[in-house]
Amino acid sequence: MKGNILVIEDNEQNLYLVRFILEKNGYTVHAAMDGQTGIDMAAALKPDMILLDIQLPVMDGYAVARNLRANPELAAIPIVAVTSHAMVGDRDKAMEVGCNGYIEKPINPDTFMSEVERHLVVK
Amino acid sequence: MLKGHRRIAERKAIVFFARLIHGLLILTLVSVVCGSMALAESRVVKVGVYENSPKVFTDESGRPSGIFIDLIEYIASEEDWEVQYVAGTWAEGLERLEKGLIDLMPDVALTTEREKRFSFHKIQVLSSWFQAYARKDSGLQSILDLNGKRVAILDKSVQQEAFTRFSRGFGLDTKLVAVADYKTMFEMVAKGDVDAAVTNQFYGSMHARKYGLVDTAIVFEPSALFFAAPKNSSRELLEAIDQHLDYLKKDTKSAYYATLRKWTSEEVRFRLPVWLQVLGLIAGIVLLMSLGGSVILKNQVNARTRELKQINSEMEVRIIERTAELALAMEKAQSADRLKSAFLATMSHELRTPLNSIIGFTGILLQRLGGPLNEEQEKQLKMVYNSARHLLSLINDVLDISKIEAEQLNVVSETFNLRETVEKVIKTSQPLAENKNLKLTAEIAPEIGLMKSDRRRVEQILLNLVSNAVKFTEQGFVRMKCEIQNGKIVIAVADSGIGIRPEDMDKLFNAFQQIESGITRKYDGTGLGLSISRKLANLLGGEIRVESEWGKGSTFTFLLPREGEKA
Repeated sequence: MKGNILVIEDNEQNLYLVRFILEKNGYTVHAAMDGQTGIDMAAALKPDMILLDIQLPVMDGYAVARNLRANPELAAIPIVAVTSHAMVGDRDKAMEVGCNGYIEKPINPDTFMSEVERHLVVK
Repeated sequence: MLKGHRRIAERKAIVFFARLIHGLLILTLVSVVCGSMALAESRVVKVGVYENSPKVFTDESGRPSGIFIDLIEYIASEEDWEVQYVAGTWAEGLERLEKGLIDLMPDVALTTEREKRFSFHKIQVLSSWFQAYARKDSGLQSILDLNGKRVAILDKSVQQEAFTRFSRGFGLDTKLVAVADYKTMFEMVAKGDVDAAVTNQFYGSMHARKYGLVDTAIVFEPSALFFAAPKNSSRELLEAIDQHLDYLKKDTKSAYYATLRKWTSEEVRFRLPVWLQVLGLIAGIVLLMSLGGSVILKNQVNARTRELKQINSEMEVRIIERTAELALAMEKAQSADRLKSAFLATMSHELRTPLNSIIGFTGILLQRLGGPLNEEQEKQLKMVYNSARHLLSLINDVLDISKIEAEQLNVVSETFNLRETVEKVIKTSQPLAENKNLKLTAEIAPEIGLMKSDRRRVEQILLNLVSNAVKFTEQGFVRMKCEIQNGKIVIAVADSGIGIRPEDMDKLFNAFQQIESGITRKYDGTGLGLSISRKLANLLGGEIRVESEWGKGSTFTFLLPREGEKA
């Protein structure tokens, strides 16, 4: 078992895709379909990494990241933003609210794992 | 005051009494002697005349005229004097008076010096002051302006002396030119022989205009004017003058006021020259005609005004309507703009989300993460994958051009390694080039490294240039060359492709316009790539240049400022 990864993503297909790739690569995936559930799960599970979709309903990814970073117990957990925004300033904004990395959609299966593992703190 | 009145009353009583006796005496004499005695009784009074219109002067017919003359004529008729006039200059008049050659000199200003030489009656005939007159363009405004100027002044007059005192008081160096009469003085000013002339206000106000002269603000020496008699003569004449003046001045309808009205400026208007009167008549007729004309004109103007008002109000209504239409159109445009923005945001998210799925899943299937694939399955999945990627790039292009045109596209400035970006672009494009058996190479100068710009946009531009080159080249090479020239980063992408015809160069960068050629159909794309690249390059402060030779290949050069590049 390589590690626990919490994926906060509201789109089922995307969630399935990410889960599929991560599980195939030996990770345990926990999924949250909205921001608040994600925050609660993060506090309970203390995963090795959080993959965070920015375009979430109700509470967007930036708010979730801020919330997670406000909890000192979760301060060390790397957060990687995943977004299809691909807009200027998105990357800066994600970094600003406490994300460690940024992966653009569409997910490229060839490079996805290397990008994820770049931010993963190996225990 | 009371005392004065009483004295005058007493004097009047005495004079009345004297005249009564006088009259009785004459009556007695007449009754005794013949009429010739009466002639002897008429007193001959010699009066000096000089030229100082309107106070005293000789008129066109050679007769003495003016205020003083009218007065003395009136008094003479009352007193039964026979007046004889002796004409001459002012100085001559005074000289004659002093020698007793004349009995009265009119228009003499009373001064202490003159009081020693002449006798004066007590009630002043006129009061006057002196004023300087000059040409209209003289610019003379105050006494100070007379410094260094030539001023004409009446010879041996009180003003000569007064002006000298007056100008000395101001420390002025004014050259006085003594002239025998006022007329000559004004002529001299008009001709420019002197700069100004000093005359009394009566003469000046009456004659200045005739010579094209105007009064200045230089006014001095108010004076009281009298008839003067020789020093040691009897006071009979002077007393008679005083008596009459006393009466005359009390009654505004008297001969005194009549002559004043006649000779001062009010009356002067009635003595306008004939030509001026004719002119006035003509002007009057013209005025009447124009009045008649203006009534007609006024009616026409009123009619036109009504028309204009109507047109104006119609215009106003139209303007209001148009404004409302424009406001509506504006609102529509604005709502369309909002719709466009909302559409862009929706496109961005909703169209890409399913594509992400398609690309993602075909990707993992092709990676065999889902299990083994046979050859046909792999070929078909690759087609799905490539089509989905192409569709995504088309969507991205359309979004980009929309954002650029809506001026919503911003670029960031971040530090990144240009070398890595160029290498990534080559690596990404390499499979496409290999498919066509093209040689894709990059030559990166050693000084290329960290720089500051928008990494994603630089990458987008380079990818576009390289993929275009690969797309339009059937055999040969695509070469990237990256270096620094004249302080700018220069990235050239050269190919051995079909090239561009000179006539097509202009539309090369137009949106949605792929260059038409017999083989165009072979090339996919919206025709947006170059248009976006050029606009992005401009946004980054750079530019894209192109050189091409039809059939031999093209070179697209991307110039980018290196500011922010880490030394």
